[in-house]
Amino acid sequence: MSTTATLASRGRSLVGRRDVLRRNGWTFGLLGLLAVLLLFAKIVEPSYGVLAIQGLGTSVLPLAIAAVAQAVVVISGGIDLSIGSMMALTSVVAASAMYKQPDEFGIVVVIGVLALGLALGAVNGALVVTTKVPDIVVTLAMSFVWAGFALIVRPAPGGGASSWLMDLAVGPILVDWIPKATVVMLIVVAVVWIPIARSRLGLSFYALGSNALAAFRSGVPVGRTKWASYVVGGLFAALGGLALTASTGIGTPVPGPYTLESVAAVVLGGVSLAGGRGGVLGPMIAVVVLQMVRTDMTFMSIDTNLAIVAQGVILIGVVMFGSLLEIRRASR
Amino acid sequence: MRQLGKARALAALVAIAVVVGACGSSATPSASAQSTGPFAIGYSNGGGVGNGFREEQVCTAKAEVAALGTSKISGITVIHRNTDAAGQLSDLRDLIAKNVKAIVFNPNDPDALNPALAEAHKAGIVTVSVDAYVTDPNTWNLYNNQVKYAYLGASWLFKQLGGKGTVWYTRGLAGHPADSDRDIGFKQALKENPGITVVPDVNGVFTGWDPKTATQITNDFISSGQYDKIQGIWASGMGAQIVDAIKAANKKFVPIADADIGAFVKQLLDPADYPGLVGAAVTNTASVGGAGVSMAYKLLTGQTVTPSTGAGRPNTVLLDPQILDNTTDQGKADLQKWISVPGMDPLWPLSLSIPGWTDYNPATVPSSCKGA
Repeated sequence: MSTTATLASRGRSLVGRRDVLRRNGWTFGLLGLLAVLLLFAKIVEPSYGVLAIQGLGTSVLPLAIAAVAQAVVVISGGIDLSIGSMMALTSVVAASAMYKQPDEFGIVVVIGVLALGLALGAVNGALVVTTKVPDIVVTLAMSFVWAGFALIVRPAPGGGASSWLMDLAVGPILVDWIPKATVVMLIVVAVVWIPIARSRLGLSFYALGSNALAAFRSGVPVGRTKWASYVVGGLFAALGGLALTASTGIGTPVPGPYTLESVAAVVLGGVSLAGGRGGVLGPMIAVVVLQMVRTDMTFMSIDTNLAIVAQGVILIGVVMFGSLLEIRRASR
Repeated sequence: MRQLGKARALAALVAIAVVVGACGSSATPSASAQSTGPFAIGYSNGGGVGNGFREEQVCTAKAEVAALGTSKISGITVIHRNTDAAGQLSDLRDLIAKNVKAIVFNPNDPDALNPALAEAHKAGIVTVSVDAYVTDPNTWNLYNNQVKYAYLGASWLFKQLGGKGTVWYTRGLAGHPADSDRDIGFKQALKENPGITVVPDVNGVFTGWDPKTATQITNDFISSGQYDKIQGIWASGMGAQIVDAIKAANKKFVPIADADIGAFVKQLLDPADYPGLVGAAVTNTASVGGAGVSMAYKLLTGQTVTPSTGAGRPNTVLLDPQILDNTTDQGKADLQKWISVPGMDPLWPLSLSIPGWTDYNPATVPSSCKGA
């Protein structure tokens, strides 16, 4: 290869790297923050190691999947305040159906619960699209409906889970420092999301979230796309419900804090609440960051409730930082 | 290019985990942990932030740590927040990662925490469940005998009514192990008194152990005219709110059995403000927090802990409740003795020590939470 060709190649490579950094700056920033938090945990508690990393992978599983569900809807310009309730409903259905049943039957239950998630999302989406009532109102109302159904299915916590499902959520895979829960989560999210993101539907999600009118004029079926985003969101919410059942071995009818925490993770994860910008990896890393904030504060024996304050402060800081970037970008 | 960036981001995430994970030493069971100290203790309370019982329970744990001293307990890390079972699993794992030697916790569920408890056991950590039991075979349980709590109060109430009449059955939180056990005790007493009828039905009405809900339910019960048809009330810790609602409605009091909550006991001892109020208070000590710390220390130092017979499950210590009423001068005097510690929150249970299980001076409990 000639010197000129080599230089040209290096130049292209540098430009490519800069492009990668620019496009994924937010994700890299989050990873940097996560690295700092992990190293801080290591300094404060020198025994922080393999078991803690495995525990971290299991702990963040339900919320990380909930954050993906929320991200899909938010990217498409909506918001789903019923994610926590859908997780509770799908979790109690799974735990009730698997209770004292053979492990093989668990596979049927998982398929059924995923179908239920699709159906719940389809109802949410259909109501949003047909009634024209704002997403926030419809999904808030539906959160009560789904939570009510969860209490009807199982008035008190209980039920069971197939042993193979519980095995997926705990322990390492291949080597001690890779949590099985994280690998399972990444595979599941990749299998569902990457084909969608690369398809016409995925592009339509981003187009709709960026500018609904422009998307409409470009031939994007606005109503159908919005409905589809809720269906995909419902599917991920069902996966989140299954993650809850897998990690606890039971179903709990009262929704956990997943709805609002998923919104927090989406914001911190670099998804614009106005829609059209962001991905699903950022929110997943954001969930780990928020968990590590709590863990570090626990290690320092700081009042746990201050972690909630810290989360709020981080979110405000992130939103302000994002706004500053927008202003800077617009002024160029 | 976008996917390439994500792949690199992912690789970086794995690299961080490797660095931290590979540099770490996994917590392994330590035989030498026994009989040496001081020990670091972790405490997890996964719900009821602001609830009198839960708050007092955490305070007794801190008071016990202070009483045992830094030569025995090097410190306590408390995670006290409202969360679900999955959230408490995460809290337990944080405490395991903090390398504590024992974890005392109030469980959100009897079964759901077992995966983290198994991990704790694998790491050589002693685990003690207080206030309710868990099914993990290696965890010790220490809690109030809730079956007996309900039986004592219900038997007293039914006796007050001469074995005949209608009783309003107000319960706690649906699905909570303590509520389920109390239901067993209540129904045992009911079976022994066939002349007693229960309203709204034999399954009772749930207050959720929430003062606002208890007041609302009572107001609805009174306004619907049902209160005028009953002769007694059995309560599960929300007696003070029920009594105040009856007073606000200018209704005549009926006998009531409840827990040893400060506000309720004060009502029983205040005939000027609550004329004609007859009631009994059954102890439901929140000192299980302190007793749990004490039990953890005993287990860590290899001391023998004897499980209660008839508990129905292994590794379990049941605490027997006591009952006092205001129908005699002696009963009033004994109730008055319970109100001896200044600075107590009115929604806290009054019994502040458990013989053989708590070492602190009860007067130190309210101040032990200052600055928490």
